[in-house]
Amino acid sequence: MTCAEFEQALPDASEGNREFEHEQHLRSCSACRSLVADLNAISQQARALQDCGDPSPRVWNSIEIALTREGIIRQPSRGELASVHRFPSRWSSAWLLPVAAALLVTAGVVRYERGPGQRVMPNAPTTTAQVASMRPEPSPDDRQLIESVALRSPAMKASYEANLQDVNSYIRDAEQSVKNNPNDEAAQQYLSNAYEQREMVYEMAEERSLP
Amino acid sequence: MTDARKLKSDKLSEADAIERAKLGDPLAFEALYNLHKRRVYSLCLRMTANTAAAEDLTQEAFLQLFRKIGTFRGESAFSTWLHRMAVNVVLMQLRKKNLPVVPIDETLETEEDAPKKELGGLDLNLAGSIDRMQLQRVIEALPPGYRTIFVLHDVEGYEHNEIADMVGCSIGNSKSQLHKARMKLRELLKTSRAEKAAKP
Repeated sequence: MTCAEFEQALPDASEGNREFEHEQHLRSCSACRSLVADLNAISQQARALQDCGDPSPRVWNSIEIALTREGIIRQPSRGELASVHRFPSRWSSAWLLPVAAALLVTAGVVRYERGPGQRVMPNAPTTTAQVASMRPEPSPDDRQLIESVALRSPAMKASYEANLQDVNSYIRDAEQSVKNNPNDEAAQQYLSNAYEQREMVYEMAEERSLP
Repeated sequence: MTDARKLKSDKLSEADAIERAKLGDPLAFEALYNLHKRRVYSLCLRMTANTAAAEDLTQEAFLQLFRKIGTFRGESAFSTWLHRMAVNVVLMQLRKKNLPVVPIDETLETEEDAPKKELGGLDLNLAGSIDRMQLQRVIEALPPGYRTIFVLHDVEGYEHNEIADMVGCSIGNSKSQLHKARMKLRELLKTSRAEKAAKP
């Protein structure tokens, strides 16, 4: 093998992938050995150039200003903010379950059923008709879930019932929003998160660790 | 390649940030910028050797990307998409300045740009004796086509298949141009060293 042939093969040959005759030539030719050593040194030293720090803060500032002016960056609406920030598209139910359980317990303590001598929540519906109109009827699955909660933990039944009704109301609103704005991605995300919330309530109810 | 790829948690954050950015979330845009700014800036700086120009090009690359983020469907990695855009922005800028941009094509190479086949009379081994400043100076002297491939591969660490995708050439072309870039750098380094040695 000549030096010219060796050099011609260099672009395709990596250190661990040289053919036998290339290795043989390398062993016998000091000029080509020097060439390979030089090229390797250049390549290795080049990697040290990678980290050159961050651009100055003015770069992001300029980007933000331009995108805001073009309407690409915009302050999300309350609904969008809720769907994006409060209900991230991926979250682990593992850590949320105890948090949600604590919220349900708190909700159970705060809510009072209407009755003589008991406090009524401010702005709460005052008639049965008003309550009924605000909350959708529980589905058969919901009734089954509530019954199973009532069997294990009667004290929690009212809380789960109320929360399921709230979640179903949330789903109803989100479905209406998607129906009114079928191309609105935020509305679709809102609905997706509403379904996830309902799923979470079901998981919590099935979680054995709850009292 | 990027931090987003190396760490699973970062990759997850990047995916979420992309979805939120599509909705206009300013925090999501900033998160994506912070995740990738260093690599894009490094690429621009190595290509231009000028801090102000590199910042302008970084800004332009991100602006172009963010304007099109609604069209990103995940067919390729986000970082590849971004860096492809950055490379295009840099090359366009160099063309605007009428700097000779050697096409990524072996057949259109000029004689002047091509590395010399022999460095007769120069017996100066480079191994162990190249410093960063020196290397940076000779990289600046490379023709833009060679410089692009060299910076992407040897400085930024991209593989040839990624470079081919970004630059729009074949893998074979990428390997060939890289080899020629290294040969040219070797020639420039040795010439520079010989000139210094010859000075009284």
